[in-house]
Parts: sequence; structure tokens; C-alpha cells
Amino acid sequence: MFRFENVSQSPLQGVTFEIKDQDKVILFGPSGAGKSTLLFLFNRLSDPEGGHIYYKDERIEKHDITSLRKNVGLVLQSPNLFPGTVLDNLKYGPALFDEWNENEARKLLDYVQLPISFLDREVDQLSGGEQQRVSLARTLANQPEMLLLDEPTSALDNRTAEEIEEVLERLIKEHQLTMLMVTHDMKQARRLGDRGLFISDGKLQEDGKIPEMLDQPDTEALYKFLEE
Amino acid sequence: MSPEISNQSLLFLIVFVVVPLTLSYFYQLGMSRDILWSSLRGTVQLFAIGYILTYLFDLPASFGIPLMVGIMLIIATFHARQKGKELPYVLPVVFFGLLIVEVSVLFMWLTFDMVQFRPSEVIPMSGMVIGNSMVAMGLSLERMKSEFKQNNGRLLAALSLGAKPKQASHLIVQKTLHAALIPNVDRIKTIGLVQLPGMMTGLILGGVDPVMAIKYQLVISLSIFSSVSISAMFVTIAMYRYFFNQNKQLVESAEEIESQS
Ligand SMILES: Nc1ncnc2c1ncn2[C@@H]1O[C@H](COP(=O)(O)OP(=O)(O)OP(=O)(O)O)[C@@H](O)[C@H]1O
Ligand SMILES: [Mg+2]
Repeated sequence: MFRFENVSQSPLQGVTFEIKDQDKVILFGPSGAGKSTLLFLFNRLSDPEGGHIYYKDERIEKHDITSLRKNVGLVLQSPNLFPGTVLDNLKYGPALFDEWNENEARKLLDYVQLPISFLDREVDQLSGGEQQRVSLARTLANQPEMLLLDEPTSALDNRTAEEIEEVLERLIKEHQLTMLMVTHDMKQARRLGDRGLFISDGKLQEDGKIPEMLDQPDTEALYKFLEE
Repeated sequence: MSPEISNQSLLFLIVFVVVPLTLSYFYQLGMSRDILWSSLRGTVQLFAIGYILTYLFDLPASFGIPLMVGIMLIIATFHARQKGKELPYVLPVVFFGLLIVEVSVLFMWLTFDMVQFRPSEVIPMSGMVIGNSMVAMGLSLERMKSEFKQNNGRLLAALSLGAKPKQASHLIVQKTLHAALIPNVDRIKTIGLVQLPGMMTGLILGGVDPVMAIKYQLVISLSIFSSVSISAMFVTIAMYRYFFNQNKQLVESAEEIESQS
């Protein structure tokens, strides 16, 4: 689905890899390695300083940018909900494309396991976990083919994190989504990922299968990272 | 009736300067120089303007008015621009905004006979309109910059959902306009209750009948209200786009914004 060829975007230098349909990829590495930076390149929230990105075998620039962003959904690290109600947030994306349908709301809340009564709740009255779910549902409302997730559970307690994980697992299976998730939690990586990209010191150090690469790292860098 | 403050009386104004000066001295505020300098500068400035105005008011209207209004527009433009120097095209945007506001207000005043086309009426009233619009534009620019910074995450979220810059910045435009209009709404609401407006006070002191003074005050207050709204709207709507590049991406740094054109 995506091919990165020698892509540079500070602090990353010359990163090459490919992501196939329905891959479940975990992107990990030390803080400041450029994980969020890399994620933003996928739906063109930014463009790389060097190299080329291909989406569906065509240069990413060739695709209409708004439909690219719709198809490649991003869930940011913090929920960043829009002021207003949960419903306002859920319909935001589809409304941009005149595709909103009131029946969707129930389904979306169902996906993220929130009661239907939440629709009229003001978002600033929700707990952190609830906000994170709304944020995920808001992205799902656009019916993306691929999900980019930037540490979606890092701000949550273990139980809430596991609930969100279950939600994600089910959604990805049901909708045959391609997933790229950033996480610091290697247990979570094992549960959700089947492939890993390890970046550190500006380079893609390892690109391998999960759990194999976590059990037997090839590089010194990954070995050290896992030790910590 | 023409009240007059004699120069001797004016001299005793020094008392009003000595009070803060003493305060600064005893509490070691280190503001003595500032207090002296600003009082002196203010006095000189006002007298200078007084003489200039006397001269301008004697000029034929069709020459004096455009001249003075032009000067005010230019000074106001440079002043308001300070608040958004790093943005491209602020100078022309602010200038044309102020020009449009001034011309339309003037048009209203003259068409409906609210104000006579005399330098002594048009110049001070225009000064108030342009001055308030300038402040509104400056505040809007500043507010917009801070809203863009504060809402970075929400903007990214909106863009990532497929919003165009205009759609993504709707919230920011809304907040900026809101912030620009609220003080005006409040001002109109309490007008005359707490503090008599400066112009009205002046007219009454100058011997004008209070009801007449109120009519003038209404004209100027509502003119300012409307000018300020238009000014805020104009800069906000003209400038939000420069926070994005042509690929519908947020422009991050000041240097990047500057290189947009
Ligand atoms: N807006 C920005 N302007 C300048 N530098 C930035 C900006 N955002 C991030 N950086 C820098 O780019 C580098 C990579 O940041 P990035 O956010 O991609 O790291 P990360 O791997 O996601 O880290 P974390 O695990 O802490 O989220 C860091 O050194 C960071 O300081
Ligand atoms: Mg990050």
C-alpha cells in the first residue's frame, strides 16, 4: 500500500521500507527518534525533505490530498477533540465530504464501546479514556482503509489501555484495515503487531517479524533498546 | 459659552505628575524617568497636534481631510502591522482593511448627514474610527497567532480528517472574531453608566447641549462598533490562509510563514 524510498525527514535519514495491505505494523524506537514525524508523512500532514513515497504504486503527490487523508486515518497521541458534543466530533470528517448519515453515530459508538447516550455529551466532560475512544471513532467515521495510531494508549491506565486494544483488534479484523501503530509498550506490540519497524539514530535499524525480532534482535541498537 | 483653562492653571497639573513620581521614589519602582519622560512627551505631542489641527481645520475640506486621513491610515497601518510582522502581506492587508472601513464609514456619515464634511468634524471622528480599527486589527492578528499555536493538535486532527485549511481554521476564525467583538459589545452595553464617553464629555464641557452630545456619541460609538467588527473580520479572513501552505499543511515556524507568498 505504501512504499518509502530513501525518505529523509529530520531526524530520519534515508529510510526505505514497504507496507502491504492489511499489514499490522508496530513502529517503535527511542523518544525523539522520529516516529511521529514518520507517521505524518503517510497522510501528507508533512512532505519529506528527501526521497519518494509511493501510495498504491503511484507517487503520493499524485493523489488528491483530501481523499488520501480520508483513506489513511490518523489518530493523534492526544485526543484533540473539537469543542462541542461527541456527535459533533463524529460527524466532522464525513460532513466534510457530505457523507454523514445519522445512523452511523450508533455504529461508531458501538465500535469503541461507548453507550449511545454519549452522543450529546460535551467532550470536555469526558474522561481521558473516553476522549481517546471518541478520537478513534472520529477517525473511523471516515471509513479509512489504513489506520495510523500514535501511541493511542500511552496516556491511559492499563485496564483502559487493554479495552482500547481489544476495540482496535476487533475493528482491524472486521474491516481488514492496514495498521501502523507507534507504541512504547512492547507487550502491546506483541499483542497487536505482526511486523515491527525499529527506528533509532535517524535510521531504520530493523524491519522484521513480531515476535521474532523482539526475541532475537539482529542489531546492537535494538538489543539495547529492549534492555531498558 | 467657551470655557477656557488658563496657562497658570495648567501649570498646576504638575501636581498630578508629582504624585506618581513620589510614589515611584518611595517604593523604589524605578519608574521616575519613565513617568517624567512620558508626561513631558505626552504634553508636547498634544500641543503639537493642537497646532497642527488648528492649521488643518483652516484648510479647505477637500484638501485637509484626505491629507490628514491619509496620514492617520499610514501611521495606523504600521502600528497594527507590528503584531503580525512575520506574516506575509500584512502591510497591504491592514492598509486596505483600514481604507475600506474608513471610506465606508465616511460614506455613511456624509450620505445620511450625520457628520458635515468639515475637517473639524471628519478628522477627529475618523481618528477614532481608524484608531479603534487599528487596535482591533492588531489584537486579531495577535489572537489568531496564539490560537493557531494553542490549537495545533486540533488543526492537525481536522486536516488529517480531510479538512481544507478554510474548514480547519473555522474554529480559530470564530474564536478570534469572538474575542475581538466581546469588549465592544460590553462597551456598548454599559455606555454612559460608568464613564461618560470621552467625546461626549468633551462636547458637554465645550458647552454643547447634552442631548446633542449624545447624538454625536451615538454616531461615533456605533460607527466604531461596526468598524471594529469589519476590521477584525477582514484581517482574520485575509490572513488565516498564510498559516497553511499550498499542500494544505500547517506551516510551523515563523521563517516558513515568512517565505510563503
Ligand atoms: N514541530 C517541530 N519543530 C521542530 N522540531 C520538531 C518538531 N516536532 C518534533 N521535532 C523534533 O523532531 C525530532 C523527532 O520528533 P518526533 O516527535 O517525531 O519523535 P518521536 O519518535 O515521535 O518521539 P516521542 O516518542 O517522544 O513521541 C525530535 O528531535 C523533535 O525535537
Ligand atoms: Mg511522538
